[in-house]
Amino acid sequence: MKNTQGMVNAFFAFLLVVILGIFFFNAINQPLGNGLVLNKDNPDLSKRVSIHYILKNVHNAEDYLAQHKSSYFRNRDKVKSSNLEFGKTKNAESGSANEVTSIVVNYRGFDTLGEVTVLFISILGLGMLLHENKKKYWAKPSLIVRTGANFLFPFIVLFGVYVFVHGHLTPGGGFPGGTIIASAALLLILGLKDFKNKLTMTKIIESLAGLTFAGLGLVGLFTNGSFLTNFLPSGTMGLLVSSGITALIYIAVGIKVAAELSSGIMEMNGGGEE
Amino acid sequence: MIVLIYLSAIVMIISALYAVYAKDLLVSVVALGINSLIVSVLFFLMHAPDVAITEAAIGAGLSTAIFVFAIKHTERKE
Repeated sequence: MKNTQGMVNAFFAFLLVVILGIFFFNAINQPLGNGLVLNKDNPDLSKRVSIHYILKNVHNAEDYLAQHKSSYFRNRDKVKSSNLEFGKTKNAESGSANEVTSIVVNYRGFDTLGEVTVLFISILGLGMLLHENKKKYWAKPSLIVRTGANFLFPFIVLFGVYVFVHGHLTPGGGFPGGTIIASAALLLILGLKDFKNKLTMTKIIESLAGLTFAGLGLVGLFTNGSFLTNFLPSGTMGLLVSSGITALIYIAVGIKVAAELSSGIMEMNGGGEE
Repeated sequence: MIVLIYLSAIVMIISALYAVYAKDLLVSVVALGINSLIVSVLFFLMHAPDVAITEAAIGAGLSTAIFVFAIKHTERKE
């Protein structure tokens, strides 16, 4: 019985390898063609994709290129990169005032989804390996630790929430904000005796936040035709309610990272829920 | 500005050497935390505030705690 099961598994593994090999060699044998050859002395920048990201607003980039043709690199210092203005520009392509956020969540949103998935899988492996470990490693916390943990916990959580809610306006975002909240949870694990029995909802919160991220992407797929499109209006740059789904995605990422890292620290401290 | 960058680089080198050569592993972990904190100050001085916030939260906060947990599970003296 076991032997036939092994044979079936080996057959399917062999089939998978053959299919992947067909794809691989098929891609190698494709004719390469000439591709896009750029003239280095007099480059035609309108053929490059990167110029659209440098100018940040795709709709006006065509006019810009028509004016400046190929003199961009020679007159680089005289050219202003764009005419975006904080608090005044409306309906920019990516309305977030923080340019790092507009790259990370808007233009490269799919990469961020993969990054969040990597974090989820690593915390999953941590839980699988360490869940059986139920020993206690800490002595009774002293008065200073208990008082400090109780006093500082709400302020640290408030700061973390501020960092990821304002992720599209100021430096910061989902990953640092979630980590700050997780360090608040660490403080309570050190300071209170039975805190880890109260931390039971982390897995559910984490799953809901991840589903929110993927669901926002799917809504963009059905309304505008591509995954993780910014389907909401981007609003005035610099206000709290602006930049469409970028702010919502960063809030979801912040909640997800906070729940994941809190449960990971709890597992490392020794044992999950009993 | 340049003086501040050189000063933090010197403190970074000292704390890194201390983290390598200290006999007490807890002291070594604290030295690594100081190193991460000064790296985040350097990131801030070089106009990368996003990376600085992340480095301060993860490098100086969480990874120090994880090393302390690992020391609790094993032995403190080298």
